[in-house]
Amino acid sequence: MRHFLVMTLFALLSATVFGVVAKESPRDRFLYGIKVFAEFMIIGLALAWILYFIPF
Amino acid sequence: MQKEKLKEKTPEETPSRAWAMGAAGWLLPGAGHLLQGHWGRALILGGAVWICFVCGLMMGGHMFSVGGEQQGISALLQIPPMIANLGSGLLYLASWFFDVGFADDPQAAARATYEYGTTFLLIAGLLNYLVMLDAFDISAGRKA
Repeated sequence: MRHFLVMTLFALLSATVFGVVAKESPRDRFLYGIKVFAEFMIIGLALAWILYFIPF
Repeated sequence: MQKEKLKEKTPEETPSRAWAMGAAGWLLPGAGHLLQGHWGRALILGGAVWICFVCGLMMGGHMFSVGGEQQGISALLQIPPMIANLGSGLLYLASWFFDVGFADDPQAAARATYEYGTTFLLIAGLLNYLVMLDAFDISAGRKA
């Protein structure tokens, strides 16, 4: 559980900075931030499941 | 006609104020935006970097520096992560001065959150480089 929370915090902080820095309008920033956050989480979980099945 | 074309192509000079804002942003995360009156941006961007750095330290993360016991290739391998850590500006320098997060302690390395902490500290520096560039661009008039 702790690992998941740390990953979530990491994704949240990175997505915040990426969203604010990359786009101009508040709406675009919010949407881009959400998109980056979702990408971090989905890719992180996908990699975790892939590595779970690798025995070494 | 040709002179006009040449004039159009000449790149705009970057105002010295932009360099100062960039330097302030690097030195103290969020300060570059704060000095320009972008309070909200300073709070969000600077806050994200500060939280990332403090969480990294609380997790027992390790920061990198050149000039330790390492020699040869091992010393060279310390340079890229040190550049990432250095992005935190004064936070990195203060930690180095007070020797917080620099000790090669096997007990600290054994903590479950050690690797997470180290990653958070690296990311705090890298994110601050982005924040610094944002402050620079705003001051140079390249961004609203």
